[in-house]
Amino acid sequence: MKIKDFKNTRARFLFPAFAIGLLILPYLATGQTRNGLSPAELKKLSLEELFSLEVTSVSKRPEKLIKAPSAIQVITGDDIHRSAATNVPDALRLTPNLQVAQLNSYAWIISARGFNALFANKLLVMIDGRAVYTPLFAGVFWDAQNVLMEDIEQIEVISGPGATLWGANAVNGVINIKSKSAESTQGLYVSGTAGTFLKNSLAARYGGKLGDNIHYRVYAQHFNRNHTSIPDSIDVADEWGMTQGGFRLDWEPSERDLVTIQGDLYGGAEKNDTVNTTLDGQNVIARWQHTFSQESGMILKAYFDRTWRRDIPSTISNELQTYDIDFQHNFTLGQSHNMLWGLGYRLMRDKTLNSTIFAGFIPQERNLQLFSGFVQDEITLTDDLTFTLGTKVLHNDYTGFEWQPSGRLAWRPGAWQTVWAAVSRAVRTPSRIDADYYIPAYDVPPDQPSVAGGPNFESEKVIAYEAGYRAQPFSALSLSLAIFYNKYNDLYSVEALPGTLTYQVQNGSEGRTWGLELSGTYQLAAWWRLRGGYTYFRKDIGPKPGHIFDTSIFGNDAHNIALFQSIADLPENFELDVTLRFVDELPQPYVPAYFAFDARLAWEYKDLELAVVGQNLFERWHSEWQGERGPEIPRSVYGKIVWRYQK
Amino acid sequence: MKITVGALSEKTLILAIMLIASGGTMPMQNHPALEYQIKAVFLYNFTQFVEWPDDAFATADSPLVIGILGSDPFGQYLDNTIVGEAGNGHPLVVERYEEVEDIAACHILFINIADKRKLQNVLSDLEGRNILTISDVQHFARSGGILQFFEERNKIRLRINLEAAKSADLNISSKLLSLAEVTIIQK
Repeated sequence: MKIKDFKNTRARFLFPAFAIGLLILPYLATGQTRNGLSPAELKKLSLEELFSLEVTSVSKRPEKLIKAPSAIQVITGDDIHRSAATNVPDALRLTPNLQVAQLNSYAWIISARGFNALFANKLLVMIDGRAVYTPLFAGVFWDAQNVLMEDIEQIEVISGPGATLWGANAVNGVINIKSKSAESTQGLYVSGTAGTFLKNSLAARYGGKLGDNIHYRVYAQHFNRNHTSIPDSIDVADEWGMTQGGFRLDWEPSERDLVTIQGDLYGGAEKNDTVNTTLDGQNVIARWQHTFSQESGMILKAYFDRTWRRDIPSTISNELQTYDIDFQHNFTLGQSHNMLWGLGYRLMRDKTLNSTIFAGFIPQERNLQLFSGFVQDEITLTDDLTFTLGTKVLHNDYTGFEWQPSGRLAWRPGAWQTVWAAVSRAVRTPSRIDADYYIPAYDVPPDQPSVAGGPNFESEKVIAYEAGYRAQPFSALSLSLAIFYNKYNDLYSVEALPGTLTYQVQNGSEGRTWGLELSGTYQLAAWWRLRGGYTYFRKDIGPKPGHIFDTSIFGNDAHNIALFQSIADLPENFELDVTLRFVDELPQPYVPAYFAFDARLAWEYKDLELAVVGQNLFERWHSEWQGERGPEIPRSVYGKIVWRYQK
Repeated sequence: MKITVGALSEKTLILAIMLIASGGTMPMQNHPALEYQIKAVFLYNFTQFVEWPDDAFATADSPLVIGILGSDPFGQYLDNTIVGEAGNGHPLVVERYEEVEDIAACHILFINIADKRKLQNVLSDLEGRNILTISDVQHFARSGGILQFFEERNKIRLRINLEAAKSADLNISSKLLSLAEVTIIQK
């Protein structure tokens, strides 16, 4: 306890010092010549020399983002490369509108706008257009979502409902992980890592060309991660490792067509006190993009995804096979209507296997079908005013038809700013854990306690009111502010049927959440860039009148989250990158507020990159989810060597 | 105790963010990123490595105009680059345009428009004129633009659409061609 107080005190003093340092440094920097080069200096260079200068591109993204009328935040591949991130959850910490909590070595709990719970279920996550949440609990097994970090183009994080376009799980947010095109990942990439928490990793990718219009890449990676600990007590048995490989092929048969086929396969094991959890998966996706004319285009996409997990802690094994086909088409109607519509079908064959009779899914197997369609019209009202109106309609096996409409107004006075406001309705359709989960998994008389599924559970609903402002007052600075007020109805509850001890999942809770999200990037100098932001979140959730249910289950949410990332090129090809995060205390289970500090020192010369990276440097251990009695995340370091070769 | 930590940090954070944000208005930050400093100098270089037909200039001493359409990523840097310089025997000037209709005499046009449809309209409006169109938006050369900057492993590269250069009656030096990637558009 004493040690914890000391650490907090130290963090308290370090943070203001760090902030003040950031404020003063630009003034010092102006005295230096690395603020770019003067025209006279550059003009002396030959064409060859000009082409050989290294640049980091930062200016394009904010210009496009500046027009987005939503609370979207973007993490670029370069932001990830210049951070300590070793996997997708680490990378997601680089945006402050997500709360990322690492539970143990292989489990993460991630959400936007609250409801961060063990079975966080209000976020839609897609990797290159493939939805990766499981219908088991409408959440994500983050340990199975590995990508080659080098090949991430960007991660888009949209907080707020994205249901009109994206679908039934996008209640509080959408995460889109997009990989680079095969054309921009040509050549050889090899990397090796060794460290304390990330014990080791190896990755390789080769990108090549078949004729003039086919580019491809293949990759493989393997990693082993170390265990967490309960400090002053025991090491937690949660070491794990995964091996993954995959490919992407981009074919441009004509100027108007782009066909992409990509796939992955992976497998791994996670240690437990008894036997290992094992998991594996395979997926393949094909996407055809066709441009009819300047005003019209379409995308046809189909994928197959199989995941398997023999999960020891939950005593349940699960195999999920997903077949998905989607079509979307955009065209203009007259001068002022930009139409977008689409159709989709998804079949999820979900098979669970209960390894005990104490808890489990009944029935063990279910085929879930999802039919969906959407239409959206972006109406240009005046030169700088647009109104977007749309709705998604879907049909699912549990609750039938669901409507998810939204209206969005954007005002763009001048090219450098956008003011927007939106109202949306979104639903979280039932997942198997809501409808089919039994404790125990056999018949129990009503006078003995049991949980018996949720046969009458309806979708959870939200009406979200949002407004925001984005600005790029000059090319070096871009800012985004969003505020939101969400009203939820028919939230989950677990209540006994009258006169019995038979508990069922019902819709007995309601509530509201509100908050603010601020983010920005700032190019202080040609060699130095800052990213960061702040999120404020509050909620008021309780049982509906006449219902009794402990609603603290709805998320262990922080009131305040903040992020600073500094990315600096130093002389002699050195790079110094630091990230400072603050996550406020969590109420239940209680977790103290913490600062996390990551630093990366790298040397990049020609084809070679050498990096020494430290994660969570402030504290020897810190908890992100369970507080004192749970697994804690260690301070860690790793070294990385990268070789990039291109003919 | 716990509450103090949270409350203090919150205030400090907001203050720090506000300070940093307001720091943005400080004048010394108005340099373009290195990428655009280099691209500005490339624009200057193109006046040395590209030949315009004589009738692209009204008189022998009319200027060679470098135009920017869309938001300007160069700022004063481009003006500083070309001040006092000449290309094709003509003094260099920079002009900035809001709309494609504003473009009168222009020889090099840097187009910073991401919207595909708008870009297509601009390019078709400029068809047949002796303007060296340049952009760093994706697929620019393929969409009918002449020069496209792209990035490969943190270095600026150049893609040339020779067909488009020919139809604008521009002669690109072999020196520049040898350093660029030439796109062949399939008809």
